[in-house]
Amino acid sequence: MEEQQQTRNILEHQQGLIDFFIAGSRPIVSILLAFLVSGVFIYLQGKNPLVAYAAVLRGSFGSIVAIGNTCVRTTPLLIGALGMTLGIRGGLFNVGGEGQLYLGAAAATAVGLLPLPVPSWMHILLAIIAGILGGAFWALLPALLRAFRGISEIVVTIMLNFVGIYFVSYLVHEPKLLAQEGASYAQSRTILESAILPILVKGTSMHLGIIIAVILGIILHFVLKYSTFGFRTRMVGANPEASNYAGVKVKYSLLITFLIMGGFYGLMGTVEVLGLKYALYDNFSAGLGYETIAVALLGGANPIGVIFSAFFFGALKAGGNLMQQTVGIPSSMVQVIQALAVLFIVGFGFMRRKSSSYKNDDSARSLDDANKGIGDI
Amino acid sequence: MGDLFSQFDPFLQASIRMAVPLILAGIGTLYTERTGVLNIGVEGSMLVGTFAGVAGAVVSGNIFFAALCAMLAGGLLSLIFAYLVVNRRGDQLVAGFAINLLALGLTLTLMPYLNANRTRAVLFPVIDTGFLKEIPVLGPMVFNQSIAVWLAFILTPVSAWILYKTSWGLNLRAVGENPKAVATAGLSVIRLRYIGVLLGGLFAGLGGAALALNDLGFFVPNMTLSRGFIVLAALVVGKWNPFSFAGVCLLFGAADALQLRAQTFGSVIPYQFYLMLPYLLTIAALAGLVGKTKAPK
Amino acid sequence: MNEHISLLQMKGITKKFPGVIANDNVSFDVRSGEIHALLGENGAGKSTLMNILYGLYSPDEGEIQFNGEQIQISSPKVAVDSGIGMVHQHFMLIENMTALENVMLGLPQDKPPLLDVQNTRAKFNELVEKYGLEVNPDLPVWQLSVGKQQWVEIIKLLFRDVKLLILDEPTAVLTPAEAHQLFKTLRFLIEEGRSIIFITHKLEEVQEIADRITVLRDGLVVGTVDKEGTTLAQLSTMMVGRSVTLARKTRPSMSKKEPILVIEGLRCKSDRGVEALKSIDLTVHSGEVLGVAGVDGNGQSELAECITGLRQPIKGQIKIKGELVKSVINDPPLLGYVPEDRHKKGLIVDFSITENLVLRTYNDPPLSHWGIIDWGQAQIKSEKLVDEYDVRTPNVLTPIGMLSGGNQQKVVLARETSAQPSLIIGSQPTRGLDLGAVDSLHELLLRERNRGAAVMFISTELSEVMALSDRIIVMFNGEIMGELVGENADLLQIGEMMMGHQLKTISDTGRIS
Repeated sequence: MEEQQQTRNILEHQQGLIDFFIAGSRPIVSILLAFLVSGVFIYLQGKNPLVAYAAVLRGSFGSIVAIGNTCVRTTPLLIGALGMTLGIRGGLFNVGGEGQLYLGAAAATAVGLLPLPVPSWMHILLAIIAGILGGAFWALLPALLRAFRGISEIVVTIMLNFVGIYFVSYLVHEPKLLAQEGASYAQSRTILESAILPILVKGTSMHLGIIIAVILGIILHFVLKYSTFGFRTRMVGANPEASNYAGVKVKYSLLITFLIMGGFYGLMGTVEVLGLKYALYDNFSAGLGYETIAVALLGGANPIGVIFSAFFFGALKAGGNLMQQTVGIPSSMVQVIQALAVLFIVGFGFMRRKSSSYKNDDSARSLDDANKGIGDI
Repeated sequence: MGDLFSQFDPFLQASIRMAVPLILAGIGTLYTERTGVLNIGVEGSMLVGTFAGVAGAVVSGNIFFAALCAMLAGGLLSLIFAYLVVNRRGDQLVAGFAINLLALGLTLTLMPYLNANRTRAVLFPVIDTGFLKEIPVLGPMVFNQSIAVWLAFILTPVSAWILYKTSWGLNLRAVGENPKAVATAGLSVIRLRYIGVLLGGLFAGLGGAALALNDLGFFVPNMTLSRGFIVLAALVVGKWNPFSFAGVCLLFGAADALQLRAQTFGSVIPYQFYLMLPYLLTIAALAGLVGKTKAPK
Repeated sequence: MNEHISLLQMKGITKKFPGVIANDNVSFDVRSGEIHALLGENGAGKSTLMNILYGLYSPDEGEIQFNGEQIQISSPKVAVDSGIGMVHQHFMLIENMTALENVMLGLPQDKPPLLDVQNTRAKFNELVEKYGLEVNPDLPVWQLSVGKQQWVEIIKLLFRDVKLLILDEPTAVLTPAEAHQLFKTLRFLIEEGRSIIFITHKLEEVQEIADRITVLRDGLVVGTVDKEGTTLAQLSTMMVGRSVTLARKTRPSMSKKEPILVIEGLRCKSDRGVEALKSIDLTVHSGEVLGVAGVDGNGQSELAECITGLRQPIKGQIKIKGELVKSVINDPPLLGYVPEDRHKKGLIVDFSITENLVLRTYNDPPLSHWGIIDWGQAQIKSEKLVDEYDVRTPNVLTPIGMLSGGNQQKVVLARETSAQPSLIIGSQPTRGLDLGAVDSLHELLLRERNRGAAVMFISTELSEVMALSDRIIVMFNGEIMGELVGENADLLQIGEMMMGHQLKTISDTGRIS
């Protein structure tokens, strides 16, 4: 009887593996549905959705400049989402990317403003290190609270986001610190030329950041899959109790994972300053940190998937700008599309709760059960 | 002495006023969480509630209609969440997060339409309590407030009564503790969870309306500024009890009021630090809770 | 009881889940005033059938007649309204609420929605008086003993005046004495004209309590018999298809026995802060199986956790091969641990078989060098282990959650014993497994013992403890009540110890005081 059940499970699973390519299409179907629903919404606003989407396409891939824009938009999202991915696999839901990227950007800016007698590549490297440390620093408090006190990081990190944004705002208002005197919009002084990330293709804004980001993604993939550190991290994320028995120091694993995540977000803020803006502007990130969560989720919390997901989001944003300019639909429509895509994915069960996987469980094996909504949420 | 009062009175009054959106939103969310569901989309419900409330107020000039619009908006969003999480068994954190993102995108996209209409939004009327509001200290603080504030005053004990003294409340609390036990007792877990989530959404919408329509009358982008999350934190600190929760909200309301006042009187401390105050307070409250805060399952 | 009035008739019930037929054309009936046992091993379909009767599942085919009328039981509410009640194996109680509140859950109130506390309490106390089920209605349920919690479950049903009670493995969590008390209460209920369906897999119980017995096997009804005139052997043959009592396995006597696990004066606290172990002294030698018997919750889990370093004791010391245990031991040649809840502690359900097998060894050569894991090596090793331990699976990449309980447990055992550890701790290792898997597991443990390992076998199933152990100790309330030789151990003595009587008391006076 049990063997029959097991065979059934395995056949299903193998079917599932075959389905993987179809399942891999589930994000794509969700995205298409999101476009569909948004299209209706656009139509209700009196505009032609096809024209709007054509603009999006042109703005993201229509020219080398457009591609450059896509890359530029993708870079921060990808870096942040990779950090988020590491966190999710390691059992953390860090919503504090927004604050951590601001602190990273501030640290990098500070270094970028210093007239260091070093070659450009070293100046950039130092600024990057500063940025990573800045982000990790901002993650330290929630990391400690979570690792050693078991306090959920969700609310704490969101609160810290605001503290971080306001703190950095203070920094760029105060001339004694980073601020540019006499600026019409609060910003820091412009960083030195030696700290600027080189542009890859002349005439575009495509900077080195995209290469860094993609390479990071590949590295993360290998680390998660092949390194002992990655295995340990995944263990803790999947089952802290079993990991404890296997000799893993769970609390330290959580702490380290959290700090590295903070570092990723710090790097995210850094590349925005060093590669795109060349100065730290007040409130420069309009929710980028939160967007990385959607990017990571849509990418299935898998580094390779996240690379694709990030490019998708980056393209949407680059295109969204053009859409706003040409068709007049606010670029916030892009956020609606993003949100709908994630909602559809959740609806398709792509992001299933971790229920008891063993299907012989009385509670798990009943469709009747599911219909009655029994079971912990 | 009178001078001190004149400074203090408005501050107290403002504290209560600013706590009210939190309290209203939280009353509903308390029921959601008691059924064992964590809806972080309460922020989104509040935000669309604020928007819909202002829109309704502008369009109709009737405060009750505006409140209704707000509640409907918040409730609708929470229904989406309920369907995804209770029926489709989706991850509640992801779903809640996506709801917030949707709310943000929708309100930003629709804002130009709202701003195009130049009519002033009607506000929650202040209730005239006659001589009561002349009582020193207590008078202005308690008896010179709007309908929304009175609603919060009344709803807090009422919801406590419902929770602990009625069979509805018993059933809801039971779902959060042991859904299987509830199912075998012959009740519908799905129905109860839907009710919990819906109540959360409806009141979050109402709280959102109170945010804009208590004294402001307009909508700005991302107006709720993560107050929904402050509500969630306050529920944890208040241990999911309506009275202690309301108390915690008053504390946050005070911090919010303080931050506004600090920006007017000249201060050595840069204004950004006052802005941080409510958030730092929340962190301190959460971090201070060492040991078991037993969440409903 | 000459007239046989059928209270309940289940006819031709069939229930299929994807890939498996849980109930195959099952028919049986229950008369008024009888205790009808539903006997079968794990997975035979008993619980499914009763869940159908209680409205939690709906049958694909078949009909149910209750009180002479055909009814569709579409939900537990319908069942309860019709007069059918169920006490599940895992209690459906709200631990943080009082017994009274638990009773009021779902109970129609006089003046809805107000909770009628006064009247309910009065009726509660009435029922307590009448049936002798002494329970304080105003205590939170978690403070009640397991036996009393079960009484609360029964009181819940009595409030709704059920005519047919279904009890699912009710004695699984009771001491032999509490079980006796339960049987007395059940007979009282029968005298009032109610009927009881008693689900169990324990043959001895059936002999004691049932009037008639229906045996299920693999989803089919093997037969319905009267208690009179049926032997245990006949029943067990019906249950399993072959005569299987847990016979004691032959084993070589081991000569050179050195102490491997030495515990002195161990005290520790449970998660709730209560003292879980009061003062434990014990020794396990190489080449022997020490069985630890006792009802769940008397400190056995905490004992295993202290030995493996997962729990810090307050006092006392634990030595394995002379080395003090200070923290979590991750030394495969020294200690292997098969934990009681394999899904929570022993396995990572989403990981593959290979990944689960290397859980403790991934960090060292030859599986990893300089922090990089050699999955090729890991796969080869795991294929060998899977073969050696007879784990049924198409390949080692399958997520372990897909395997049956027995195979999962084999993986755990493979991981924990492949390094030939000196000490093996098994904490309820056969929980939830069918007889075939239980047998395999016993064979594996015995093989380890014969190799020279020291084996500690903690189990609530007395029959297993008696079949497998060289020595038996019984735990009660955090203390060891006594020790017996495994061969020909006296069931009565063990039962007494499980209730809290020290071994000395029994043999000294010859009677139970």
